[in-house]
Amino acid sequence: MSGPWVEKYRPATLEDVVGQDHIIERLKAYVKDESMPNLMFTGPAGVGKTTTSLALSKSILGEYWRQNFLELNASDARGIDTVRTNIKNFCRLKPVGAPFRIIFLDEVDNMTKDAQHALRREMEMYTKTSSFILSCNYSSKIIDPIQSRCAIFRFTPVKGHQIIKRLEYIAKEEGLDYDPAAIETMVYFAEGDLRKAINILQSSASVGEKITEDSIYQVISKARPKDVKKMIIKALKGDFMGARDVLREIMVLQGTSGEDMVNQIYQDVSRMATEEELDGSSYLEIIEAIAETDFRIREGANPRIQLEALLTRFLYKARNE
Amino acid sequence: MLWTEKYRPRSFDQVLGNAKQIKEIKEWVDQWIKGEKQPCLFLVGPPGTGKTTLAHIIGREFSDYVELNASDKRSYDIIKNTVGEASATRSLFNQGLKLIILDEVDGIHGTDDRGGSRAINKMIKEGHHPLLLTANDPYSKRIKSFKSKCKVISIKKVHTNSINAHLKRICSQEGVTFDDQVLKELAKRSNGDMRSAINDLEVLARGKDSIDKSNLKDVGVKDSRSNIFDSVRRVLKSKNLPKIRQAMYLDEDPTLVMEVMAENIPREYEKPQEIQRAYEMISLADLNFGRARSSRNYSYWRYASDFMGIGVALSKKETYRKFARYTGSTSFALLGKTRSKRDLRDRVADKMAEKMHISRQVAISQFPYLSLIFDNDVMAYEIASYLGLEDDEVKLFRTKKIKKPPEKKTTSPKKIDTDNLKSDGINSSIYAKKVDKNSKTSSSQDKKVTPKDKPLKRKKISKNSAEEDNKPSPDTKEKEKEKQTSLFQFN
Repeated sequence: MSGPWVEKYRPATLEDVVGQDHIIERLKAYVKDESMPNLMFTGPAGVGKTTTSLALSKSILGEYWRQNFLELNASDARGIDTVRTNIKNFCRLKPVGAPFRIIFLDEVDNMTKDAQHALRREMEMYTKTSSFILSCNYSSKIIDPIQSRCAIFRFTPVKGHQIIKRLEYIAKEEGLDYDPAAIETMVYFAEGDLRKAINILQSSASVGEKITEDSIYQVISKARPKDVKKMIIKALKGDFMGARDVLREIMVLQGTSGEDMVNQIYQDVSRMATEEELDGSSYLEIIEAIAETDFRIREGANPRIQLEALLTRFLYKARNE
Repeated sequence: MLWTEKYRPRSFDQVLGNAKQIKEIKEWVDQWIKGEKQPCLFLVGPPGTGKTTLAHIIGREFSDYVELNASDKRSYDIIKNTVGEASATRSLFNQGLKLIILDEVDGIHGTDDRGGSRAINKMIKEGHHPLLLTANDPYSKRIKSFKSKCKVISIKKVHTNSINAHLKRICSQEGVTFDDQVLKELAKRSNGDMRSAINDLEVLARGKDSIDKSNLKDVGVKDSRSNIFDSVRRVLKSKNLPKIRQAMYLDEDPTLVMEVMAENIPREYEKPQEIQRAYEMISLADLNFGRARSSRNYSYWRYASDFMGIGVALSKKETYRKFARYTGSTSFALLGKTRSKRDLRDRVADKMAEKMHISRQVAISQFPYLSLIFDNDVMAYEIASYLGLEDDEVKLFRTKKIKKPPEKKTTSPKKIDTDNLKSDGINSSIYAKKVDKNSKTSSSQDKKVTPKDKPLKRKKISKNSAEEDNKPSPDTKEKEKEKQTSLFQFN
């Protein structure tokens, strides 16, 4: 079984990684030397941080990479305890059949500050036996002592033509029938996120018909977090409690993240402005509020509370009456 | 002698209220005395409800007891030494059982009483001696580590009538004539706190022959730690700064207070601009809680407290004259109600996380795509078996009645695979190789079903591949149809 295409078509070698050419070049040097410093990969989602880490680890560790490779992502428990026991125990052991061991910590920005501090010690204590690869979305959320112990690589959104090339390759492998314009549309919505692009491609392909621009639009609209528009309209009508209930349901039950909610609200609002459902000045007022909400969430505030506060800004119509 | 001491109950019968709890406590004591070891007893309840009184009464049931309360330093060493001494000097009676009382354990200080909770944990684990703990705050972080290992008995507030009756008894014993209304008012004000009621009475009545209403103003309204809803109501109903400040002195998790405050803003405030302003204050409070959390600098809390107290209170133009029914945060209620659904969601997300090198949150953000992809029977089957999804987990992505997934047809699983190949029009040599591998490893069952068919079909496909590259559309469409009909057959 090959799994979803995002996994099926995950490049296995550094050569196949899409985009990030300058980074890949430098990493290949580490493979050649069979040594590397601690690395930190930062950049937005879906640009190849995990893929690169896996590919790099496999080529350095060779045949016995599984034994010498430890991957911990944000779903795994990564409190201080894990750092102090699991990671330490892994680092302490000598590598078997490989030059050293590699610990890959994904989404380090979600680790607590305390755990990061605990990690800092381990990173320098076991330099002889182990190297770390850390990945994160925002390097600002990583404590300075860790940043200073790493070679930092900044991943950029994947370029449009590179995404096109990859999507075309997959389409060929899967024998898909598509309009070239459809691919362009996918690239537009993917915003440099290759994982998203591939998910859109497979969703469109699942219908089993020729992939057209229209079918992409359909997928995009269906794949949105549900009920966001409903929530906005309720708030615009002045029904704050109703809108707030919808918001809570989306976030609690569907589990949509604050970031995704902000994105979706932004997109819905800007579409409403284009379709003149919102006048210019109220649009600007709302955008200002969304921007501030976005910022506060990233500052570490509670996304749900912040979004509830944002909803009150949609009450402006009722307010002016 | 203070009246609170003078009139402190000396036996179980004299304790007012909490009859059921006392029965449980008695059983606990009896078991110990019979020689059966019992888990640590933990009395939790608001102040002035009789926890310490009960502790002493229990102590008297045993041959002896030691007590360490909040005024003692309670670090690891001190607890260990005191208790160690206690256990060394076993008394000769009652099987030498000596009760150890640790009063107000939620007040164990993080730094001054270093290791205090570790010592308590150790004692609970050893369990040689009857151990009794008391605390006010059942949710305190400091008691979290040992609460679950104890027999927790929650002591409730004393009913106003019981307090009233008790005050009357004291008055008659002290020879004070009283106005019924005054005692009633004292009992009411005490809010279930017997100790404060007796203290108030003493202030009013000591050395006097009689008390009446005019004396009431001598007693300040107790600086009681009100509950969350009282505070929230005070903030939403008032514009008086000192009062609001006072209301925010609460012994509760401040983020919880914020949640309840936010919840009830639109229940009290009616004008949209008031709701908006108040919520902006909540947002700022929340931001400061976030800062405190990430920087571990809890001085940010004071700003948060002002934003959600004074800020919210001053967001209204005028105080509403109405009775609004307040509730706890519905998002917490929602969390409880949706537990099983969220568990299912998280279980699936964790399976994805493991196989696809992503976090749970990223996995959840891909759900909408999976719901679309799962419309396709073949893809659904492939992904479901790749991730190892159970039937109920598949339902997350397929609202439609789940057709028996192809894997159920153990008689001809290979046929599905070939179908799958056809429909997807697999051309590449890489994929063909994979398929070859699959067919090699696939069970002998398959061969029984369609032994000759398979290789032929596959060859056909790879032959087609070259042509299909140029004009894929009609071919694949035909195959799609074919696939669908074949799937219908399976259903």
